[in-house]
Amino acid sequence: MMDFTKIWRERKDQYFSLALRYFKLIGNSGFMLSLYILFVTGSFYYAQILKQLPANFPAIWLLVAVFAYLLTKSPVRTLLRKGDLVFLLPVESRMKEYFRHSIRYSIVVQSFIIVLIFVALGPLFSKYISGKGMEMIITIVLLLAAKLWNIKTSWEEQRLPYQRNRRNYTLLRLAVNAVFLYLLFQKAYVFLIAVLAIMYVLSNFVFGYIKKVHGYKWEHLLEVENGMMMKLYRVANLFTDVPQLSQRVRPRAWLSTLSNVSYNHSHTFDGLYRKTFFRSNDYFEIYIRLILIGAVFLFWIPQGWWHPIIVLLFLHATGIQLLPLYKHHKGNVWFELYPVKQQWRFRAFQKWLRLLMLIQAFLYAAFLLAMGGAWTIGGVSVVLAVIFVWLFTEYYTKKQLLRVR
Amino acid sequence: MKKILEVTGLTGGYSPDRPVLHDVSFNVHANEIVGLIGLNGAGKSTTIKHVLGLMEPSRGTAKINGKTFQEEPEEYRGQLSYIPETPILYEELTLWEHLEMTAMAYGLEEQTFLTRVRPLLAEFNMENKIKWFPGHFSKGMRQKVMILCAFLVEPELYIVDEPFVGLDPLGIHSFLELMQAFKNNGAGILMSTHILATAERYCDRFIILHEGKIAMEGTLQELKNQLGDPSATLDDIYIHASRGKRP
Repeated sequence: MMDFTKIWRERKDQYFSLALRYFKLIGNSGFMLSLYILFVTGSFYYAQILKQLPANFPAIWLLVAVFAYLLTKSPVRTLLRKGDLVFLLPVESRMKEYFRHSIRYSIVVQSFIIVLIFVALGPLFSKYISGKGMEMIITIVLLLAAKLWNIKTSWEEQRLPYQRNRRNYTLLRLAVNAVFLYLLFQKAYVFLIAVLAIMYVLSNFVFGYIKKVHGYKWEHLLEVENGMMMKLYRVANLFTDVPQLSQRVRPRAWLSTLSNVSYNHSHTFDGLYRKTFFRSNDYFEIYIRLILIGAVFLFWIPQGWWHPIIVLLFLHATGIQLLPLYKHHKGNVWFELYPVKQQWRFRAFQKWLRLLMLIQAFLYAAFLLAMGGAWTIGGVSVVLAVIFVWLFTEYYTKKQLLRVR
Repeated sequence: MKKILEVTGLTGGYSPDRPVLHDVSFNVHANEIVGLIGLNGAGKSTTIKHVLGLMEPSRGTAKINGKTFQEEPEEYRGQLSYIPETPILYEELTLWEHLEMTAMAYGLEEQTFLTRVRPLLAEFNMENKIKWFPGHFSKGMRQKVMILCAFLVEPELYIVDEPFVGLDPLGIHSFLELMQAFKNNGAGILMSTHILATAERYCDRFIILHEGKIAMEGTLQELKNQLGDPSATLDDIYIHASRGKRP
């Protein structure tokens, strides 16, 4: 006899310890400090803005929008795994117990978020809606009740076979939520009772009917779960290397022409590296992001000899961040089997990295001149940048990447 | 007959103390398809890895046209193409880019590439998928990409590891037809498979591996004679050899 409560608990514990490990890494990276600074300055400006808001500010619509989003988006965290498709499918009829745990877990986590957001928007609420404690409590209780309803119905919604069906029902929930929230914030409690009755009917008859007719859509549930897991990985990946992060490929057709190379035996790897750079993971995004952040720094810091240093710093950052591209296809047997010279592969990578770094350097130089900078500083920046790029790609890259051989 | 692949006294495996292969010797000639058959774990994949030059033998050699991989790595690799059991693709490249990259890697002239690629794509029903990424391919389509890349090169030696799994009947048919055509043009083919009925019809000779040694070897007729049963099928011979009883 399979103990589903035990399976759920084990998975939850594993998930928690995994998430905790990543949060520790994020915490150690100095990110928490910037978050704290952001929080303090943010709350200062929040108070300022609140004071200056006009009396006719449509706070009610803001509140409706925020909570309609939070209520309608009610995913159930199933913690399903790929292997379940084989091993748990036969006991599907008894999975109810497992899913009950995941629904309960989702309710707890998402209710917490609702309360948190409500507290954060509290000043707005008390200024424009109601300052009475009793009404605040009623509002919170009703918000949580609506959350409960949304999680239950959205869970049944996942049984529908097609994306379009599911979206239609999500829109239905959105409409119900919007009306509910509007009446709630208008304190029209009598009408609210009518909406609650409608919600009761909907969940029992419409969503209840879905439950009767449709089974669990395992592959869809897995996909949803996978998507939520990837969100965590994606965030953690900004701070550390996450091997489980699946390689998402985006075609980015508009960049294809840039990645084409002329047909030639010795260019075998050139095209591959360019296309991998544009289409895979975050290489391209990292590159663009670094260029933009560098430009922001150049813009904020007053003209002077700091500028060439910033240019070099950001070129260095780009170089370091793009080094993993070389080993992106690690373990691919074709690299071994192609009848090509081994050094072609490194040379292809080196050439591409050099080009990317030079483009970045010239963009900065153009930016400096466009801001009305001195020719001397711009010129020195370019010369230093070119020397740096040459040293980096010729020596540092070689040392780092060819060390293993 | 010209020997393309010559394997002599090959002993090797993943650790020197426990070799998987024991003194394996065989040849693949021009104009012939050799079936490499054996149970799971008999050493088929290890044999293939040694022939590809991905593993180094502890004793013995594998030569293509008289040269080992260690002597002439690029020339050695340039004369063979490989169809792996599990398709290995670049998730970032489209079907067309896979073909182009393979052609470049094997040093094909651009004109040769362009004349060969269209009929191949048509044969395997993939003409309208040249812009697709592997993420959208089924197992069979992935396998087709491997087959297309291998046939595009038209090498002297083909190393084929279980090509039929996941392939649709039309695909299997096209694959076998082309294989025979290339064989008649002078290529040698070493094919590992468990689909014995197909192997029986298409292979000229067989090597039955058992526990890292060659248990039986020869044409179907020779194998039947060794067994002393003229009505035996390849299945019977295989089962007999794999139970470890020598005829």
